[in-house]
Amino acid sequence: MSAPALTSPAPDAVVPGRPTVGQRLTAFMPVIALVVLLAALTIADPGFLTLSSLTAAVRTSAPLVVLAAGATLVVLCGGIDLSIAALCSLATVFFALWLPDLGGITTVAIIAATGAIGALQGVAHVLFRIPSFIVTLGGMSIFTAVALVISDAGPVRVVDRDATNWLTLYVGGVVPMAFVVALVLVAAVSLVLRLTPLDSWIRATGYSESAARLAGAPVDRVKIAAFTVSGACAGLAAVMLVSRNFSGSPTMADNLLLPAVAAIVVGGTAITGGHGSLWRSLAGALVVTLLRVGLPIVGVPSAYEQILYGAIIVAAVALTLDRSKVLIIK
Amino acid sequence: MTTNLQTQPDPRVPAPAPALEVRGLVKHYPGVKALDGVDLVVRQHEVLGLAGENGAGKSTLLKALVGLVRPDGGEIWVRGEKVRLRSVVDAADHGIGMVFQEQSLVPNLTAAENIVLGSEGPGVRRGIYRWNTMRRLAQEQLDKIGSHIDPLARTDTLSFADRQMVEIAKVLRIEERTSHPPVIILDEPTSVLESKEIETLFTQVRRLREFASVVFVSHRLDEVLDVCDRVAVLRGGRSVGEVPSADAAPAELHRMMIGSTGSDDHYHGAVAERPDEARRPRLVVRGLSGKSFRDVDLDVHAGEIVGIVGVHGSGREDVCRALFGAEPTTAGEVVLDGEKLDLSGTRAACAAGVGYVPAERKTEGMVGPMSVADNMTLTKQQSRCTGPLVRPRKQATLVDRWIERLSIRTPHRGTAIQRLSGGNQQKVVLARWLVAGDVRLLLLDHPTRGLDIGARSEVYRLMRELAGSGVATVLLADSLEEAIGMSDRIIVMSDGRATTEVAAPPGGKPTPLDLVKEMV
Amino acid sequence: MTSPAEADAGSEVVNAGRPQPRRGISLSDAGPPIALVVIFGVFAVLSPDFRTLSNVQNVLDAAAVLAVVTCGISFVLMMGSIDLSAPGIMGASAIAVALLVANNRNDNDFGLFGVAVAVLLGAALGCLSGLALVVLKVPSFMTTLGISAVGLGVATLMFAGVQPNVTDPMLEGWAVERFLGLAHLTWIAVACVLVGVLVQRYSRLGRYAFAIGGAEEVLGLSGVRVAPYKVAVFTMAGAFYGLAGVLVTSQLSAGLVQAGKGYDFSAITAAVVGGTLLTGGRGGILHSAVGVLLVTVLTNGLVQVGVSPYWQGGVQGLIVVAAVAAAVLPQRRRNQVTK
Repeated sequence: MSAPALTSPAPDAVVPGRPTVGQRLTAFMPVIALVVLLAALTIADPGFLTLSSLTAAVRTSAPLVVLAAGATLVVLCGGIDLSIAALCSLATVFFALWLPDLGGITTVAIIAATGAIGALQGVAHVLFRIPSFIVTLGGMSIFTAVALVISDAGPVRVVDRDATNWLTLYVGGVVPMAFVVALVLVAAVSLVLRLTPLDSWIRATGYSESAARLAGAPVDRVKIAAFTVSGACAGLAAVMLVSRNFSGSPTMADNLLLPAVAAIVVGGTAITGGHGSLWRSLAGALVVTLLRVGLPIVGVPSAYEQILYGAIIVAAVALTLDRSKVLIIK
Repeated sequence: MTTNLQTQPDPRVPAPAPALEVRGLVKHYPGVKALDGVDLVVRQHEVLGLAGENGAGKSTLLKALVGLVRPDGGEIWVRGEKVRLRSVVDAADHGIGMVFQEQSLVPNLTAAENIVLGSEGPGVRRGIYRWNTMRRLAQEQLDKIGSHIDPLARTDTLSFADRQMVEIAKVLRIEERTSHPPVIILDEPTSVLESKEIETLFTQVRRLREFASVVFVSHRLDEVLDVCDRVAVLRGGRSVGEVPSADAAPAELHRMMIGSTGSDDHYHGAVAERPDEARRPRLVVRGLSGKSFRDVDLDVHAGEIVGIVGVHGSGREDVCRALFGAEPTTAGEVVLDGEKLDLSGTRAACAAGVGYVPAERKTEGMVGPMSVADNMTLTKQQSRCTGPLVRPRKQATLVDRWIERLSIRTPHRGTAIQRLSGGNQQKVVLARWLVAGDVRLLLLDHPTRGLDIGARSEVYRLMRELAGSGVATVLLADSLEEAIGMSDRIIVMSDGRATTEVAAPPGGKPTPLDLVKEMV
Repeated sequence: MTSPAEADAGSEVVNAGRPQPRRGISLSDAGPPIALVVIFGVFAVLSPDFRTLSNVQNVLDAAAVLAVVTCGISFVLMMGSIDLSAPGIMGASAIAVALLVANNRNDNDFGLFGVAVAVLLGAALGCLSGLALVVLKVPSFMTTLGISAVGLGVATLMFAGVQPNVTDPMLEGWAVERFLGLAHLTWIAVACVLVGVLVQRYSRLGRYAFAIGGAEEVLGLSGVRVAPYKVAVFTMAGAFYGLAGVLVTSQLSAGLVQAGKGYDFSAITAAVVGGTLLTGGRGGILHSAVGVLLVTVLTNGLVQVGVSPYWQGGVQGLIVVAAVAAAVLPQRRRNQVTK
C-alpha cells in the first residue's frame, strides 16, 4: 500500500535527449575523485606518490574491492546486502577453524560455504518477499552470533601460514597478489556479465523489476545468483584478511561495511538499481582507501574518517539516485 | 486580461455568473493533444454530466480543474473571476473539490480525521488533537449528507459506499474556505458500487444540488442522464456539445461521444488472407477462475483477433494477465495448440510462445534506460546468443532488421528506449515477441494507450500483419471502436464472467451501442 | 508496564474516542501479547531462576534502554521509513553526556543540563537524517546509515582516546537506585513510552506519521505538506536515541563510542515483533512496548536456560525475518516488486 510508488502511468513525459551536466559528472565521478585525491595527497605530502606507498594502498584495498564488487551485483538488482561484513568476519573464523582439517582446500571450501549462505539469503528474499535490507540485516546479526559462539568471542590464531601465503606475494615484485586477485575477480565477473544475457537481466531487474518479469526475465534466479556471488566474495575477502592478520576473529571485517557501501555509491552505482558496474565499485573502493590512508597525511585525525563515510554515502547517493523511478521516497 | 471582454458574461444580464467556466483549455502531452480547446460551463446549483470515451480528455480536464495539471492554454473562471489553479489547495480555496476515482482517503485514520484532513481548524490546537471537537466537525459534515457513519471508525473498516460518503463529506469541507457554494466533482463514483448503493449516492447528489454545483462523470450513460440536469460531451479533447438530459437518450449521447462516422474507417484495413490452420482453435480456455474472474471460456483461432470488452472492474485485464502467468488462477485449463499451458509464471508462458504487451508501457512494458536493442531481445535471448554467449553482431543485425521492418524511428539501436516517442516504444515492445519468430499467442492489453492517431494506425497495421501470419491475438482495446474495428469476434465480460460473444466480421460489425447494452 | 499507559491515555481526555476501532481485537493485535505470555510461561516452567521476582525486575530493567530506542524508531517505522542511525546517535550522546556531567576528563558538572544537551545533540543528528531524506531525496535507510557513521565519528572525536568515566552521583544513581523495585532508568523508559503513546494518539505529529505510512500521496492531495512532519519525526526519534545514549552511560558509568551497538537492529526487531509493519501505517508505541518485552524476555530466558548469550543477536535476526515474512506473505502477489 505504501511501498515506494512507481511512476504513475502519466502521459509521456519528455525525456531529455542528452545527459545533463550532472549525469555526465557522475559518470566520471569515481575517476575524477581518484585523480583529485591523488593530486591533493601529493601536494600535501610530495613523498606520497611513491611506489611503496601506492603498493601499500592497493594492498589494503584488496578485501574492500572484493566485498564491494560482490555487493554491487545485489545493488544492481535493486537490493542491498548489509550482511557482507558480518559474513566476512564469520568466514575468517571458519577459515581459522577449518584450516587444520581441510588444509589446502580451505579457501575453496570457505568461498563455497559463504556463497551458499548468500544464496540462502537470496532465497529468503525472493521466496518470502522480504525486503533485502531486512533479510541481510537479520543475516548480519545471525552471522555475528554464530561467529561469536564458534570462536568463543575471541580471535582464533592461524598457525599454518602456508595456505594463505600466496596472497601475500607480489606479482613482478610490485603489484600485491591480493590486489591482482581482486582485479581478476572484477574483470572475470564483468566479462561473464557482458558475454551472457545476465547483464541484460540484472539491469532490467534493477531498473524495473515488473517490466523484467513481464518480459520473461528470470528475475528470481538472477537475484539469488547476485546474493550468492555477494556471499562468495565475502568469503574471498575473508581469506585475504586472514592472510594479512594470521587469525580469524568474529568482528574482524565489521568495520568494512560502511566503506564497502561507500565504495559502491561513490563509484556511481545507483542505489535504486540498474545503473552501475563492478569497475565503478573498484574505483570507488580505491577512492575510499585513499581517503583512509590519506587523511592522516593531510593532518586530519582519523576520527573524521567515520564522519566522512557518512557524508560521502549520503552525498553520493543523492547524486546518483534515479529519482524518476521513485515518487515517494521513504 | 481585458482583451477578451466580448466573451465575458454580460454584466447587464441578471443571471448569476456560472459557478465554473472553462474556456478554450488546451493541454499537450508529447505526441498527444489531451485537451484541444475545451469549453465548459457549470451553472450554480446544477448537476452537470460529463461524458466521453476513454481518451476524450475527461480526466485531464478534471485534473486541470483541481490544480493537478497545469493547462498550456485557455482560462478557468470561477463565479466570473479568472483564476489560476496551481494545486489542490488552490482549487479548494476557490471552492472546487473532487472525489477521486481511486479513493483518496488514508485507510488507517478514522473517518473524522479524513474528513478534516489538511483543514482541521479547531480540531487541532497547537498540534494537539481535540478528539471531541474533531468528531463534532466531522459529524456536522456527515449530517449534511445524511450519513450515519461513526466518525471514529477506522476508514478501512468501512464499506466502499461508506467511504464514498466520507469522501463527499471531506470534499464538502471546502465550504469552510469560501463563502460561496462549492463545485464538487465526482469522478466515476459508481464504478464499483452495487445498485442499491448507487441509489443512495444519487439521492446524495441530488441533495448536494441545494448548496453546491456538481460535475458528475460516469461511463454509464443511463446514470448520467438519470442524475444530471445537463450533459456535456467531450471527444478528442474538444467539447462537442451539450444536451439537457430531459430530452436525450443514451443512444444520442453515444453518437456524440463517438462522432458521426460511428466506427472510424482506419480500423478496417484489408483483412489478410487466413491460413488454412485457422479452422482449429489455437487457444482453448475452459473454466478459468481467479480472484476477479470466474469460469471464463475462450477460444481463439490461429490468425484471429478476439477483443474482450468490459467496464472497469469486469476482470478482463486479470484474465489477460492470468493467461500470461502473471496473475494466479484458482481453477481452469488453458490449452495452446493442443498442449496444456503452464500458468505458474511468466517464463513458462514466454517459452510456450505467448507474448504479452502490458497496459502500463512505462513501468511494465519496457525498461526505460536500456537500449532499444536490449529491450527488443530481452525475452528471446536465444535470438542474439550462440550457446550461452551473446553475439553482439548477431544482435545488431537482428535488431536493425526489425527496426527497419517495423519502421521504428530511433537514432540508433543503442539509444535508450525512453527517448523514443510512445508509438515507437510500443513497436519495440511488440517486436520483443516477434524477434524469435515463435510467438503463437499475443495478449495485447491496451496496446494503443497514450498513442497519437498515426502511431495507432501503425500498431493496427502490425496487429493485422501478425494475425495474417497466423498469430492468435487477444485484444483489450482502448475504446469500443478499436475493439470493434480490430476484432473478428468480441467477448463481453462483466463482473468477472464472459457473458456474451459477438461476431464482428468485416462488413458485419456490431455498433458500440450493441456492446454497451451487454456490458452494463 | 503497558497498563498505566492505557489508563492515563484514557483519563486525560474524558469520553474522547480512541482512534482505534472498538469492535473486537484483531489477531494481529492480540498475537504479540499472547506470544509474550506464552514465552514467559514456557521459560517460567523451564527455569526456576527465571520465575523469581528479582529476575522479573532484571528483565524490566534490561528492557529500559531498548524501550526508549524503540519509542523513537516506532514513529519512523510507522511512516514506512527505516532508521539505522541509533548506534551513531547513541554513541555521540553517550560520550557527550559523560563529558558534560561530573567526570574524570574535565571539570564540567552540568548535571541535568548536560543530559538535556546530549538529548538535543541526538535530536540534531536525527534532524539531519530527516533533512537529507526530504531535501536530497535519499532513501531513509541510506541517510540514517550515513548519519550513524557521522554520529560515531563525532563520538570518536569527543572520546579522543581517553574513556570519560562518570562521577556524577545523579546519573550514576539512575541505574542503581530503585523505586517500587525498579531502577530509575526503568521508570524513565516507562515515562518515554507514556509520552510516545500521547504523541501517537493526541498530537498531529503522531497522527500524521501514522497517516504518512498509510497513504502519503493522499496527504498531498489534501493539501498537507508532509516534509516538515517527516523531519520532525526523525528529529523526535533522534531525541529518543539521545536519551537512550544517556541511559547507557548511566548504566556503565562511562561514556563509550559503542554505547548503541546493535540497538538499531534490536529496536527494529522489537517493533516488528510487536506488530508494526515495515511498510508503515500499522502498529504503535504500545505494540512496540510489547515487542520490547518479548525480545527481552526471550533473551533473558534463553540465558537462564543455558544458551550462550552470544546467540542473542542471532535469535533476534531469526525472529525479525520470520516476523516480517509472516506479515508480508498473506499479501503476497505475483509480479510483486520487492527491493
